[in-house]
Amino acid sequence: MIHSLFLINSSGDIFLEKHWKSVVSRSVCDYFFEAQERATEAENVPPVIPTPHHYLLSVYRHKIFFVAVIQTEVPPLFVIEFLHRVVDTFQDYFGVCSEPVIKDNVVVVYEVLEEMLDNGFPLATESNILKELIKPPTILRTVVNRSTNVGDQLPTGQLSVVPWRRTGVKYTNNEAYFDVIEEIDAIIDKSGSTITAEIQGVIDACVKLTGMPDLTLSFMNPRLLDDVSFHPCVRFKRWESERILSFIPPDGNFRLLSYHVSAQNLVAIPVYVKHNISFRDSSSLGRFEITVGPKQTMGKTIEGVIVTSQMPKGVLNMSLTPSQGTHTFDPVTKMLSWDVGKINPQKLPSLKGTMSLQAGASKPDENPTINLHFKIQQLAISGLKVNRLDMYGEKYKPFKGIKYMTKAGKFQVRT
Amino acid sequence: MGSGLRDRALWKVALGATGSRPGRGRSPCSGDRKKEAAALPGGPAGSANRANRPPERHSSPRAGAGAEAGHSKRALPGADRPKQRISDGRRAPGRGSCAAAPRGAAGEGAGRSASGRRSALGAPAGGGGGGARLGAVGPEEAGLPQGAGRGLSGRVAARRRSDGGPGREGAAPWGGEAGSGAEGLGVAGAVSGRSEPACGPQEGTAGAGAGLAGPWSLGCGPGEAEAGPTSRLGALRRPTFASPRFPRQGWEEPAGTAPGRETMPYLGSEDVVKELKKALCNPHVQADRLRYRNVIQRVIRHMTQGLDMSGVFMEMVKASATVDIVQKKLVYLYMCTYAPLKPDLALLAINTLCKDCSDPNPMVRGLALRSMCSLRMPGVQEYIQQPILNGLRDKASYVRRVAVLGCAKMHNLHGDSEVDGALVNELYSLLRDQDPIVVVNCLRSLEEILKQEGGVVINKPIAHHLLNRMPKLDQWGQAEVLNFLLRYQPRSEEELFDILNLLDSFLKSSSPGVVMGATKLFLILAKKFPHVQTDVLVQVKGPLLAACSSESRELCFAALCHVRQILHSLPGHFSSHYKKFFCSYSEPHYIKLQKVEVLCELVNDENVQQVLEELRGYCTDVSADFAQAAIFAIGGIARTYTDQCVQILTELLGLRQEHITTVVVQTFRDLVWLCPQCTEAVCQALPGCEENIQDSEGKQALIWLLGVHGERIPNAPYVLEDFVENVKSETFPAVKMELLTALLRLFLCRPAECQDMLGRLLHYCIEEEKDMAVRDRGLFYYRLLLAGIDEVKRILCSPKSDPSLGLLEDQAERPVNSWASDFNTLVPVYGKARWAAISKYQGAEHRGPELPNTASFASSGPLIPEEHKETVQEPDSGALMLVPNCQLTAEYFEKTWFSLKVAHQQVFPWKGAVHPDTLQMALQVVNIQTIAMSRAGAHPWKAYLSAQDDTGCLFLTELLLEPENSEMQISVKQNEPRTETLNGFISVLETVLGTIGDIKS
Repeated sequence: MIHSLFLINSSGDIFLEKHWKSVVSRSVCDYFFEAQERATEAENVPPVIPTPHHYLLSVYRHKIFFVAVIQTEVPPLFVIEFLHRVVDTFQDYFGVCSEPVIKDNVVVVYEVLEEMLDNGFPLATESNILKELIKPPTILRTVVNRSTNVGDQLPTGQLSVVPWRRTGVKYTNNEAYFDVIEEIDAIIDKSGSTITAEIQGVIDACVKLTGMPDLTLSFMNPRLLDDVSFHPCVRFKRWESERILSFIPPDGNFRLLSYHVSAQNLVAIPVYVKHNISFRDSSSLGRFEITVGPKQTMGKTIEGVIVTSQMPKGVLNMSLTPSQGTHTFDPVTKMLSWDVGKINPQKLPSLKGTMSLQAGASKPDENPTINLHFKIQQLAISGLKVNRLDMYGEKYKPFKGIKYMTKAGKFQVRT
Repeated sequence: MGSGLRDRALWKVALGATGSRPGRGRSPCSGDRKKEAAALPGGPAGSANRANRPPERHSSPRAGAGAEAGHSKRALPGADRPKQRISDGRRAPGRGSCAAAPRGAAGEGAGRSASGRRSALGAPAGGGGGGARLGAVGPEEAGLPQGAGRGLSGRVAARRRSDGGPGREGAAPWGGEAGSGAEGLGVAGAVSGRSEPACGPQEGTAGAGAGLAGPWSLGCGPGEAEAGPTSRLGALRRPTFASPRFPRQGWEEPAGTAPGRETMPYLGSEDVVKELKKALCNPHVQADRLRYRNVIQRVIRHMTQGLDMSGVFMEMVKASATVDIVQKKLVYLYMCTYAPLKPDLALLAINTLCKDCSDPNPMVRGLALRSMCSLRMPGVQEYIQQPILNGLRDKASYVRRVAVLGCAKMHNLHGDSEVDGALVNELYSLLRDQDPIVVVNCLRSLEEILKQEGGVVINKPIAHHLLNRMPKLDQWGQAEVLNFLLRYQPRSEEELFDILNLLDSFLKSSSPGVVMGATKLFLILAKKFPHVQTDVLVQVKGPLLAACSSESRELCFAALCHVRQILHSLPGHFSSHYKKFFCSYSEPHYIKLQKVEVLCELVNDENVQQVLEELRGYCTDVSADFAQAAIFAIGGIARTYTDQCVQILTELLGLRQEHITTVVVQTFRDLVWLCPQCTEAVCQALPGCEENIQDSEGKQALIWLLGVHGERIPNAPYVLEDFVENVKSETFPAVKMELLTALLRLFLCRPAECQDMLGRLLHYCIEEEKDMAVRDRGLFYYRLLLAGIDEVKRILCSPKSDPSLGLLEDQAERPVNSWASDFNTLVPVYGKARWAAISKYQGAEHRGPELPNTASFASSGPLIPEEHKETVQEPDSGALMLVPNCQLTAEYFEKTWFSLKVAHQQVFPWKGAVHPDTLQMALQVVNIQTIAMSRAGAHPWKAYLSAQDDTGCLFLTELLLEPENSEMQISVKQNEPRTETLNGFISVLETVLGTIGDIKS
């Protein structure tokens, strides 16, 4: 299925290669470099590149291209998903997944890849099983440089009746944490009305419970979730009939479910942006003013607000004064970025000033788009609420915790 | 040298003899050697030995050599050990001295006489280096195919030769690293325990691979006096005093040089190889587990960067004999990469690998088996067969997984020639294995082995078994099993729906790969139940849309491609979600382009306003490509919502942007051809845009419009005149051609204004033009004009528009079944033609992306290149698609035949007799089934044929051949009166009959 894997950095160097079925010459990547050159930005390199003898499927993450070489017809989503899993695994192992880190840990990387794929087919990809096969480098191990990072024993979980959970798990503190994280993707038009908005939510869990616990999780308002996909552990029939999540959890961290809320009336937009950006045909100065304010936040504070905007080519420089936070403008990439921080509803943060434009150039066709990042703690913007969590099958009393968080996904305001 | 050769032969014999029980032949050496030398690595223990066991030392080399000769009883760390050693020694006394002597120097010095040791004590580190070199050179000189373990026994003997410090120095590390198995170590520990109780346990820990210097050197206090002077021990000991817990810190400096060297790979790999080779041979390094491993890691690192590291193969093979799993892994990794380059040397490694295949640790077994199967060099098959067979029956599932895939690798090594039936049966039976991954691997492996027979066969029991195991598989397994299940054809409707019910939950899986796999399976299984197909597509709408807005751009892209495919059949399917396909600023290009295409296809009365507004916004995007794609999309929508779109496009012309104008004009050209009602509006918009067009495509479009509709554009002649003026500096021949045609057309309706410049243009084209095609075209028109103006009109003035071409392009509403087999493959992403081209190259490699067996006449190859489709008028081939496997019973056929009227009847010239078989085969190719046929030579000859197209329309045909009037009478009946498809069918039939007739005559 996957013949070879090449890791290529954004400047076009292959810094790691691994072959499974047969050795595919590096020169196959020339087609990739060609595409990379054609695409002005690294992000624009198409994920599937046909070459005379192979297909190159790639994902681009952390400024690294993970390029899989395919020779036979394959389900593309399968391969792409797998490549993402590889990246996730690296991230899991090394904390960050970057070129220097991979180079430093090249040996572990190889070992991991060797276990993840055999003959081009995915084998062990669950991170807790992998970690039993190959121990991740820890600080102590790095200091001592005793990279005895190979487990002496096979993962015990493999013979368990429940494939995602190993047997004989033991903890002194039994705890189960659930994080409800929602991301808002929205496009807001000039006048402030919503063009499109949707919420992508996930429930990530960290379950450290002894034995074989059987959990049920119920929601106050399960009807909210129309579009749900589950971790394989969730009993689907039970959800369909009673709208209750019933499952034997995997050990450790996992994503219990992900959902979408796209009905527009349900998506509350927690921020608004007032903007006044104007170019004039005659003058070489433009006015720039934006204000960010909260709306429909249910009393919670909006934090971590960052405003970025790609200014038109004609803008030479900007002189702006923020009422709070810091801002930067890169005259080369024309990228304006304003780190606002928290929004205080009493005193709305604003950024005002002028833009100096290229003399003689006609005014830009389009006003810039503003991208917004923010976070709201303790709030699931869709209104989703967990009702209760019960445990069966074990005697002890676990510690349970639920956390809510809302973030901006692709949130943009057109001006 | 001579003895070296002999030795190689012996080794081969030994290998053959012990093939089935890998490693047995060797293990005694290490065991014996251990016993002999006891605690070589630990100088102290060795010194203790030296003191109380001089006679044993004498026999030791022979013992080692004796073991080589094939007397292979594993020496167990038991009470009978001394006895066996002695007997071994006795059995091959001569061999020990003659065969072993010429081998490398790195003998185990520890067992050597006390005096030798003492002299060595004073030897400086340099001496050690010398020893290492000797050790390295020795085996090569002698041409000895030494496995690492083997090398050890050689070294046992070699100490005879290497008197003096260096030799011993070199030896010591080997003692340390040598333990080629847990048992070997056990022996070492035990023996040292026996010879010097105080030191024994520590020795054991040191050997056990932890490489922890701390306890060891702390414990060896008593032996220190002797051990101290050897530099290696010194190096080890130093840190233990400084910081017993982190021994590494103490010897940062020797290792510290490594990074410095690593930064210079650009000097060329030769230097690096030389240097690494030296390091690998260095006994100091070898002695020290961590340093040794570090050097190996550097080799691997260079390897991954693409430097040629095959130069150190020999050294790496030696390094494979270790108990340290990490080191083993690294070395195996190396070997798998370079084995094809050095097959001779790689054979040496096989012995070690074979032995590891019977290691008690399943990890090691699996690792060794996998590495061995991945060696990819000729001749390795005979060695891996037995280990694989053993692996298939291993009790650890980890090993079974590896072994199952190993079968496929072995098959590939065989060159795909013959299929081992027994192995295949074994694999089929392993489909019932407990471990889900073994099951999936079996499928994968069988698929490869049986490639030429069409892959793994999924019969009813297997299918049901797999279905039941589905929930236990991981997502990859699920996705692949779903793919394999496509081959299974349920026997009854009941079974079919049972399967669908069972798989229902996979449509909601969290993995998009599984969702897509399940969708495809549903679509294929339910191909006779269109409502089920539609239901499924409704169900996966959610997951698909989720994937379309996934965090991963790449997933998004692939999902969007599939959305487009679904839209081909169900145009309204995603209409209510049109906002999901609005582009956001930060998305990469390829996603934006897909989204625009999707938007263009899902437009309907309700959302057209919003979609157009959105697209209008994209037209001024910074990226020219994206802007142009948006304009083309508006052009696409204009075929249905003409007025609104033409208005938007006209506004865009007002921007006077070059890249926008050219695309708008091209869109206009296509639009006028397809929707003649907009001609007026277009003609009004055109004046003025010639100023903003520079590229060939745009110019051609503009000139074409001016030529065809010139009578409605007042200034058309003047615009064309400008082009004629500048024709000398025109770089594109295509533009000149277009100009010729357009001007001639315009001349026909506005002769007064055009005559002069037409003359000039023709003159230029004929007299001065260098491009042959343009000149010929000019000459052609010139001669045409000579034939008279009426003739020109008759030839040049074709219809100015033809909406039917739109149908040809859109291929409106293709049935689900026409693409179901391509769903969840790369076809939706890059098109069938593209993939077919790639697969063709691969020849034998190619597993065959399920070839579409629908005879699709509409898409039977791009006869007309894309760019010319506007100008060439193809007879409307209707989208006739005959469905394969339309099996009618004779009774049903008869009933239907009598109930229908003849829809079409014609005669077809035919000479001679008919060959029914040939005809039947030919008809089969185009999916026409033969119901009944007279035998050859019958008078009159008759045949009844049936076919069904994808809409369910039946074609029943009677062929009647009366030899006397030498023509074939064809009567076609149709259960739904539809002329286009009927015509299509008849032309297909005619083609077949014509071809057969031609062959005959």
